[in-house]
Amino acid sequence: MSSSTLTPPGGAPAGQQAHTAKERGRVLPFPITGQEIVLIVVIVALWVALALATPAFLTEGSIVPLFVAMAPVALIGIGMTVIIITGGIDVSVAGIVMVCAVVVAKAMVDSGASLPVAVALSVVIGGLLGLVNGVLIAYGRVHAIIITFGTANLFKFLGLQLFGGTTVDNIPGTLAFFGRGEAGRTLGVPHSFLVMLLIAAAAWYYLRHTPGGRHLYAIGGDADAARLAGVKVQRRVMSAYVLTGLLTGLAACFVIARGTSTLAPNVGAGMELAAIAAVVIGGTSIMGGRGSVLGTVLGALLVQTVTSGVTQLGWRSQLSSLFIGIFILIAVGADLLRQRARRTT
Amino acid sequence: MSTTVSPEAPAPAPRPDDENGARQSRARQLPELLLRALLTQRIVLLLVLLVAVVVTFLTLSARNYLTAPYDASYLSATLISAVPLVMLGLAELLVITSGRGGIDLSVGAIVSLTSMVFGFAYGEWGWPLWGSIVLAAAFGGLCGALNGFLIAYIGYPALITTLATYYAFSSIAIVINDQQPISTDPIQAFFSAARSVPIGGGEDPLQVPLGILTFLLPTAVVIWLLLNRTTYGRRLYAIGTNDVAAEWTGIDVRRTRFTAYFTAGVISGLVAVVTVAQFASARPDAGVAGSGMALPAITIAVLGGVAITGGIGRVAGVVLATLLIVWLNAGILLAVPGNAGSQWQLAALGIVLVFAALLNGYASRRYGRTG
Amino acid sequence: MSETRTTEPAPSPPPDPGAERLSVTGVSKRYGAVRAIRNADMTVRAGSVHALVGENGAGKSTLIKILSGAATADTGRITFEGRPVNISSTADAIALGIATVYQEPQLFPDLTVAENVFTGREITRRGRVDWAAQNARVVELLELIGLPARYATVPVSELSIAEQQQVSIAKALVGNAKVLILDEPSAILTDAEIEVLFGVVRRLASTGVAIIYISHRLDELFVIADEVTVMRDGQTLGTWPIEELSVRRVVELMVGGILEDTPPEHTVPDAPPRLVLEGLSCEGEYSDVDVAVRPGEIVTLYGLIGSGAAEIAETVYGMRRATSGRILLDGKPIAPHSPRAAKRLGIALLPANRKLQGLFSFQSIAFNISAGHLPMLSKLGTWMDRRRERQVARDFIARLSVKTPHERQPVSAMSGGNAQKVVLARQLVERPKVLVLAEPTQGVDVGAKEEIHRIVRSLAEEGTAVLIVTSDLPEAIRISDRLQVVRAGTTTVEFGPGASQADVLAAAAGAVDQEEAA
Repeated sequence: MSSSTLTPPGGAPAGQQAHTAKERGRVLPFPITGQEIVLIVVIVALWVALALATPAFLTEGSIVPLFVAMAPVALIGIGMTVIIITGGIDVSVAGIVMVCAVVVAKAMVDSGASLPVAVALSVVIGGLLGLVNGVLIAYGRVHAIIITFGTANLFKFLGLQLFGGTTVDNIPGTLAFFGRGEAGRTLGVPHSFLVMLLIAAAAWYYLRHTPGGRHLYAIGGDADAARLAGVKVQRRVMSAYVLTGLLTGLAACFVIARGTSTLAPNVGAGMELAAIAAVVIGGTSIMGGRGSVLGTVLGALLVQTVTSGVTQLGWRSQLSSLFIGIFILIAVGADLLRQRARRTT
Repeated sequence: MSTTVSPEAPAPAPRPDDENGARQSRARQLPELLLRALLTQRIVLLLVLLVAVVVTFLTLSARNYLTAPYDASYLSATLISAVPLVMLGLAELLVITSGRGGIDLSVGAIVSLTSMVFGFAYGEWGWPLWGSIVLAAAFGGLCGALNGFLIAYIGYPALITTLATYYAFSSIAIVINDQQPISTDPIQAFFSAARSVPIGGGEDPLQVPLGILTFLLPTAVVIWLLLNRTTYGRRLYAIGTNDVAAEWTGIDVRRTRFTAYFTAGVISGLVAVVTVAQFASARPDAGVAGSGMALPAITIAVLGGVAITGGIGRVAGVVLATLLIVWLNAGILLAVPGNAGSQWQLAALGIVLVFAALLNGYASRRYGRTG
Repeated sequence: MSETRTTEPAPSPPPDPGAERLSVTGVSKRYGAVRAIRNADMTVRAGSVHALVGENGAGKSTLIKILSGAATADTGRITFEGRPVNISSTADAIALGIATVYQEPQLFPDLTVAENVFTGREITRRGRVDWAAQNARVVELLELIGLPARYATVPVSELSIAEQQQVSIAKALVGNAKVLILDEPSAILTDAEIEVLFGVVRRLASTGVAIIYISHRLDELFVIADEVTVMRDGQTLGTWPIEELSVRRVVELMVGGILEDTPPEHTVPDAPPRLVLEGLSCEGEYSDVDVAVRPGEIVTLYGLIGSGAAEIAETVYGMRRATSGRILLDGKPIAPHSPRAAKRLGIALLPANRKLQGLFSFQSIAFNISAGHLPMLSKLGTWMDRRRERQVARDFIARLSVKTPHERQPVSAMSGGNAQKVVLARQLVERPKVLVLAEPTQGVDVGAKEEIHRIVRSLAEEGTAVLIVTSDLPEAIRISDRLQVVRAGTTTVEFGPGASQADVLAAAAGAVDQEEAA
């Protein structure tokens, strides 16, 4: 329950004078959900524990790669959050990463594309592939998971064709701006992470404060009721997939930037599941209608913390998957419990 | 007894489908009926596509467009890849049919983990083969039971649960033997289970992969019997069709759903045995390498007409969908040799799936929801 | 058939007519072979509360759908403020200022009340939702409909059903509605909440809004309505000012005559009761319910939606637990904790919501019947005895005269009445000791209704104890050996066979003290 104290009935007329910053703070539910607070606590606890266990953890050499590594997953996760809020899902993003990455890498190797060209190319291709998903799902009226399973295969085919059976070698450092070496950082923070944060903030604002964003929640809550209320359901659903395509295109650039000068055909593999994991750990309901970008970014951070931590502790790196799986179950279980508690009160 | 029918009650409307009229119009609308069967009966569509694919490649083969003959023995030999696909497709059939967003992303990870367990038992602890196979099935069932417990009894969403257990099982599979495959002598000798055996007499008997006879057919028959001849099958279709009504009917909805995931786990455990035989090695990434085994299995199930919303799905659909994909892939490999061939297989799978899904959407809008 | 229909008074123009706001003339609508409404006429005036009444299936909801744009009329004319209009979508209706509050709240559970009210018509400032402005407006609306102002920022999922209903009304009002359609708004509200609702309705009417009010609680009409239009069998019989009507008169118009049914020749064998509910209570739903049903007896609990009658049935069938009191079966206390347990005790239940709780829609008739009896129709509880399953399905198709070519037909293709017979057949396969029927003929045509009543009666004659829960008054009177009225969650007056509709209705509506009940 909200603990706000609005103008009591019959009190001062609530009207234009309500436009103070203080009032505005109260007209919305608290911006941070219980799930996000829990995540912050867990992440802080993990960081403290890791810092105590391995002194090397809280050093630049450890934290910076952590940020660089989480940026693309978090970025895709932002798009995935929007899709899952509408009640959909996209398992084709790994294929989109692959296509974008190979096109951009080849463009840089073959024709020396500059940074803006490379980014624009990647984003546009990602957006187009997202459009394919969006049109098929919104207008073909087929369950999102089936369509994106299909397009995942198609995108992977496209990517493999472009790779032509080999790796792309000698990729120039054009994309180093996004976080490789000193040039890729400002005040020690990698640019990819900063860009991701900026986009997350914009997405957070859009979802929370614009009619379009609120409509996405309405669609996920009850698409038919949303249609009755005059929401353009199909167009909104389609744009969610296009947005994810665009963000995935940018994420592909981050992936190239964090890698070496060689791009292998397995680029992007597993990123769809990693992004979905970040979203659900962040408290977004897979049934649609509820979720936040802040949670997703925290979820991605948690996943990457676990991955880095496991390596730093000298454990088998694959062990991190086990912890991620357990975290997903705990996060979703906590959410189930909270909902059940809320329903019985 | 008097009635309350008002004198102004509307005269009974003429019955819309008068027997005779219906029969006449039925004869006139034969093409329309065929189209309807094609659109609403997935089995019919798959059969037509299957025949089209095989005939196309046989023709190409006859005109020497292919790098090797596309003939009966080739088709038979390629069936080896159908074994895990059909079995896991059937596992997905069970869980998807159970409804409430049922799906199992973890089958591939269960295959990986159970491969290692089977490898230990048969390859290192010296268990007898039958004991090791029973252990594999039981262990797979245990993994599936974990999914089923969380989904059916606790109320976790299936997609998320099996994503989490996918991570967990595949991680344990790799860590359990320090990333090393098990390829001891008994395991290598077990490769014989993946050989082909002659079927039928004559000078040139058809060579059929043994796995078809020892694993695929028994699994398909058992699942078919389970779905079509047992009370469990009725309960499964009932909860998938309408789990509220199932509850009101007195069906134990949770146990029924739990059993679907458990059985999917058992099948995955058996697939692990098949995979070990094929590789002659128990590999820790057997079921998750590349795009893994779960996504193709779900694709096959959906292509086979299993409704993602639950309550609809047939064994024959899954088997035909697998044959279609396997023989289409086999043809592509001969038409487009080398690496490109396997890439075209991805495209073919994607196109067929999207096409089938769109067709489903169109058919349900035109004819209403059907099996 | 009773031929003692009273002559209907010629409707006289209502006193003090406001300006004509919305008018339908000669509107008809068919669904396939079914004529949902024929030549419906109705005129709604500004500032007036216009009640629309009729039995289930009389065509009220179709007429409402046409006015709200959810369906389009086949023929007829609709005029809005004197101009002919064409309402072909919900957007058209909203644009005209016709707002509808449906029975089922169309809300988004995870969004706040304020957001729900404004979804699709947000107030924005430079592209951003102006939360403060929206909130201020919602606070006004909440005040108007009697909800606390702080609810504005509370997610709808945290509100009670009644509160959600009120939010739906607020949602309809935000667009400055000129016509407000309320589809059984009181059905799920408590008496206190209904008082608040009436206050809202009156205030709105006083501001000139025309209100179309649909209700089954006829006593309400005399508190709130100015005019009443009665529908029967898809036709509007006319519109009367409320002063010219009485509850009894409205019922007679609705059912088409004074019903002087000869009660069926049916003597209940004198036996100890099979099913007894003793002081049964379920917190928040019903309390202190006393019912006894003997073998061969049909006892009806007649109650309006929300009276608690449905919840009593659910308790007997193990879908709900009582918090106090006892259930006795053949004298022994029972406490079924699941439908499975209830079935083992020999209790069967026909659920009220056929589509949601009864049918396995795209499965066959045989599947639908056998689903409730898998242990019986199988060998060792495992192998389906398909021959027997087929036989049972065919038997029941014949016995209940289900119209179908064969038992493999999917039930989704069947009419309401036929589908209901299939669900009923499922309850009868293993003859139950106690059969509970919840709304057994809802959404079923007149012929099938007769047949279902006949079947139920013959079951009783074979010794089954039948407990019917219904909100269909003529049905309650015609079918039962004894009828108990459930009101406000408890059993009140009891009637024998041949009770008059007006008496029962008055009791159910809480008008026992009125002269009407005499």
